Amino acid sequence: MSSITFLCSKSAHNNNNNINCSNNDVPKGSKANSAFAAASAGLLTIATHQKQQLHQQPHQQQQQQQQQHHQQSKVKAIAAKTNGHIDDRSDVTEQLYVDPYADLGNGLAGDLNCCPASPTTVPAKASLESPLKRSGRRQRTTSIGNQTTTANPSECIIRANNRTIYTAGRPPWYNCAGQQVEPFVIGICGGSASGKTTVAEKIIESLDVPWVTLLSMDCFYKILNEKQHEQALINEYNFDHPDAFDIELLLDVLTKLKEGRKVEVPVYNFVTHGRESQTKTMYGANVIIFEGILTFHSPEVLKLLDMKIFVDTDPDIRLARRLKRDISQRGRDLKGVLKQYLNMVKPSYCNYIAPTMAHADIIVPRGGDNKVAIHLIVQHVHTQLQLRGFKLRETLANSYKDQPMPHSLHLLHPTPQIKGLHTFIRCRNTSRDEFIFYSKRLIRLVIEYALSLFPFKITTVETPQGVLYEGKRMESRKICGVSILRAGETMEQAVCDVCKDIRIGKILIQTNLKTGEPELYYLRLPKDIKDYKVILMDATVATGAAAMMAIRVLLDHDVPEENIILASLLMAEIGVHSIAYAFPKVKIVTSALDPEINSKFYVIPGIGNFGDRYFGTEPSDEY
Amino acid sequence: MRTGSPSSNGSQSEEGSSSSDHQQPQQVAQEQEQQLHTPTHAHAVVPAATSEEILAEYGSSLKLLECNSQVAELLTILRDKNTTRSDFKFYADRLIRLVIEESLNQLPYTHCDVETPTGAIYEGLKYRSGNCGVSIIRSGEAMEQGLRDCCRSIRIGKILVESDANTHEARVVYARFPDDIGSRQVLLMYPIMSTGNTVLQAVNVLREHGVPESCIILSNLFCTPMAARTVVNAFPKLKILTSELHPVAPNHFGQKYFDCI
Repeated sequence: MSSITFLCSKSAHNNNNNINCSNNDVPKGSKANSAFAAASAGLLTIATHQKQQLHQQPHQQQQQQQQQHHQQSKVKAIAAKTNGHIDDRSDVTEQLYVDPYADLGNGLAGDLNCCPASPTTVPAKASLESPLKRSGRRQRTTSIGNQTTTANPSECIIRANNRTIYTAGRPPWYNCAGQQVEPFVIGICGGSASGKTTVAEKIIESLDVPWVTLLSMDCFYKILNEKQHEQALINEYNFDHPDAFDIELLLDVLTKLKEGRKVEVPVYNFVTHGRESQTKTMYGANVIIFEGILTFHSPEVLKLLDMKIFVDTDPDIRLARRLKRDISQRGRDLKGVLKQYLNMVKPSYCNYIAPTMAHADIIVPRGGDNKVAIHLIVQHVHTQLQLRGFKLRETLANSYKDQPMPHSLHLLHPTPQIKGLHTFIRCRNTSRDEFIFYSKRLIRLVIEYALSLFPFKITTVETPQGVLYEGKRMESRKICGVSILRAGETMEQAVCDVCKDIRIGKILIQTNLKTGEPELYYLRLPKDIKDYKVILMDATVATGAAAMMAIRVLLDHDVPEENIILASLLMAEIGVHSIAYAFPKVKIVTSALDPEINSKFYVIPGIGNFGDRYFGTEPSDEY
Repeated sequence: MRTGSPSSNGSQSEEGSSSSDHQQPQQVAQEQEQQLHTPTHAHAVVPAATSEEILAEYGSSLKLLECNSQVAELLTILRDKNTTRSDFKFYADRLIRLVIEESLNQLPYTHCDVETPTGAIYEGLKYRSGNCGVSIIRSGEAMEQGLRDCCRSIRIGKILVESDANTHEARVVYARFPDDIGSRQVLLMYPIMSTGNTVLQAVNVLREHGVPESCIILSNLFCTPMAARTVVNAFPKLKILTSELHPVAPNHFGQKYFDCI
């Protein structure tokens, strides 16, 4: 399991031994790191408000103690304010989220907000941020048990200079024809404290699928008015009633996630009982897990779920957990907890939650301890994922042999200069200085050529000589460049040189060395990119897998296919075929076409690793 | 029009070479004047010559930069009288870069196989070293940067040609070249040709320094049919590359590019 991601504010881990707090400054073995392995994106704002509550939890991890110490007094004050049901929700975030720079983390909420792809879906993001921000953002903890990542911690986490770095990005979420493949949506329902999150995490852990998004129903609580707010403060607002949730919004978000689109998930503030002005941006994933107490209540939501799991835990056990959690962790009195339970939690369970058990495909008794049930679920999901065909690169490399080249390919005229430039940059003995100079010249030609493929309109202008001149102007000046990091970045300068004040977006896609699949790590695109013509830049295209992922990202941002030009110095024929087949309207521009790729997906004869040669990061022996 | 083979340099038609050098330019000049006047009065659009027309009329020694939409846009911006000076320089530099790149295609080369980092062999080609650029002062100097961007350490010579205000006769007043210019391929840079007289004088100077006519490549942005005829007739082996053949030359180029009278 690599990057399991979460958008949840809640954990079912009410027992203390699952606190996943840890201090990033002092990474201590893989157990501590496992806490960061999965991202907790939801309700980070709350975390900033209330993170101090942490201290009420037993200090299992020594590192924390120092920091916590001076905040004890604050903690109590906040804990006193947020009582009742609120506590159920808020303390969890603390479990999920620890900010070692508590005093420095004020800008955190805004910082998160400006991130187009949430940390949930783009785990490597923070590594590109400043160290200060990173320290705040790096904290991606979940309620996932420690064992989750201890299983294979070395695969998903690298540690360097006291930092934890994610090594897994988002793998393809489309098939080899570039079409969206529906993610598998699992709905988990069950009463309060029944162990829904435990089941979810066990499924994620056993699935070993790199990209999982966990969406919690808690994000969709309605905004309370003043009266309701007061009720909530004296434990009289019913958070367990279906009316407490904004089902329409939930439906909208879940539908879009299922389509693989970008969504804005509200961030609910349990103190103000309103939504934060910022939202969390999420993308679809291979597997989406949606959990909550009333997951099966709405028939429309039910239709979106591919698999429905009901976690059925004995009411006595649930009450016992609730009592233990509320009294020992939240300092509430027995009377108040029981009052809330008897007046609202229990009736709601009987009236709204228990009856929905009829919709479940699988009922899991005893929650997360039921290993057989979880094993069965995981097997089924695996079969489903395989049927959907997420394995890409190999499929791409072996198709389309001996086909005529597609019409969408625009190859620069093979003039002697272009061939001469290629001779320079392909030669293994070329120094980096020359490599950079000559590749820049070539890139300029490619970009100039790419620009000529945009639509033009005929115009007439007046000349200083007094005659009219009939010429052409580009139809729209709204052009933006998007580079596929790292190698594509080398082409940005040329784009800036030919288009004044052009906007540049970036997409980081790296190949997972283990699976050979491309993975999406980072994404920054202009906000209104759908209105722009896009020059997508990557220095070399071998199988086309990374380029296809980038195109898919652009399409997911509503950029029309015909508005995209993919510009590249060198392409393998196979890559061109794959891209042209998947996205026939995308114009493909390149200065040379090579016939083959080798088993490591390098183009033959090729340039080698363009990014490494340009940036001077060649490993000693790679080929 | 791209032939892709710079070795076709000397094989252009010989029709112009035997004609008398004195009569034809004058006739052309008269025709030119008529062409110039008609559109001005009518305020009509004057079309530029297409590459097919050029090949038919001037032979293969005159080449036109492939006029794709992007090049057309650059030409339009440079022609437009409402273009700001900053835009003008920006787009002129872009066009110059394209013209220079295309001019370099006319240089001779040899085949050369190299090994790529993947271990495979790439069948490439190699240019001879020992080229040089020569710019005609002032507007030709606008193209020097474009050449430098393509060939970092190329030698650049300069020629100053002055035309007499009364007789319109061009006269070389200054020339400075590398000593061994006679053994080099020369890229002569001059963006605007309206009569061709300046270029004629410059080429004459180069020939006096021992540069064979066939080793000179003229890089030009805007050329009038009259100038093209003049130069092609005078020096049939000279290779000319331009981006547009149009009866009206944008004579404001140097002024606007340098923003100076």
